[in-house]
Amino acid sequence: MSGDLSLRRPKPPRALISLVPMIDVMLILLVFFMVTSTYLNLDMIPALAQRDTPAPTQAASNTPAEVLLIRLGADGQPVLRGQAFENAALAELLHARLSDTPGLQVIILPTGSARMQALVSLMDLVTQSGVREMRVVRLEAAE
Amino acid sequence: MRIARPAPRTPPETIIALIDVVFFLLVFFMLIGRMDATAPFDVTPPTGTTGSDMPAGGVTLSLSAEGALALDGVIVEMSAAEAAVAERLEKQPDILIRINAHRNTELRRVLPLIARFEAMGAREVVLVVTPPKGGP
Repeated sequence: MSGDLSLRRPKPPRALISLVPMIDVMLILLVFFMVTSTYLNLDMIPALAQRDTPAPTQAASNTPAEVLLIRLGADGQPVLRGQAFENAALAELLHARLSDTPGLQVIILPTGSARMQALVSLMDLVTQSGVREMRVVRLEAAE
Repeated sequence: MRIARPAPRTPPETIIALIDVVFFLLVFFMLIGRMDATAPFDVTPPTGTTGSDMPAGGVTLSLSAEGALALDGVIVEMSAAEAAVAERLEKQPDILIRINAHRNTELRRVLPLIARFEAMGAREVVLVVTPPKGGP
């Protein structure tokens, strides 16, 4: 017998890169992100912003713009000059005052026992009315 | 002689589809979630319509409705919180300080905090709010 017949051993199949460790890692990452993340949609309202340049109100303090003092009662009711206002009425009043004096400044004086939500709602209302200058003040004795 | 026919091999389930789904979920959670430390007590921020998007980072001070304090997710006393914030401010003067107060927290517990941070030289203090449900 000559060497005509030669049996070739089939090539062993190429080993695939195992996908199992990759899946393990991805599952661990997935569970990690699911557990650590919170899904609350949070926004922020600036409470204090100190800039290097002096605030425009300080420069123009010689000619004080009209200042409106709004007190915030413990029940969350805004009080202006001793008169309690509903939100809609207050917004209307602010609009009217703003059309007269665009540089209207609003100072909010909340009672210490007022709730956080009441202050944020009032700040929202004042900001939405178009007031550019708003400050929240507090009495030291209110602590 | 009977030769048993080998059982037909069941086709392997395509694991690629599983990887696709897991990867998609992974990216979804990475994008949608925030990784901030959450308070160890119930804090529901007040609803505000004029809030702006909050950047990540900074230091978060949480206040419960009863006035309990937590700094970056750890319950602390007032003095310890002030010391920690002062230390952070010293390292990074323009650090963002977030005050995450429950909507029913009395302002007498919130406003003095802001005043104290201001006295420490904080440049930026923000109140955390949540937009009303169904869009601002």
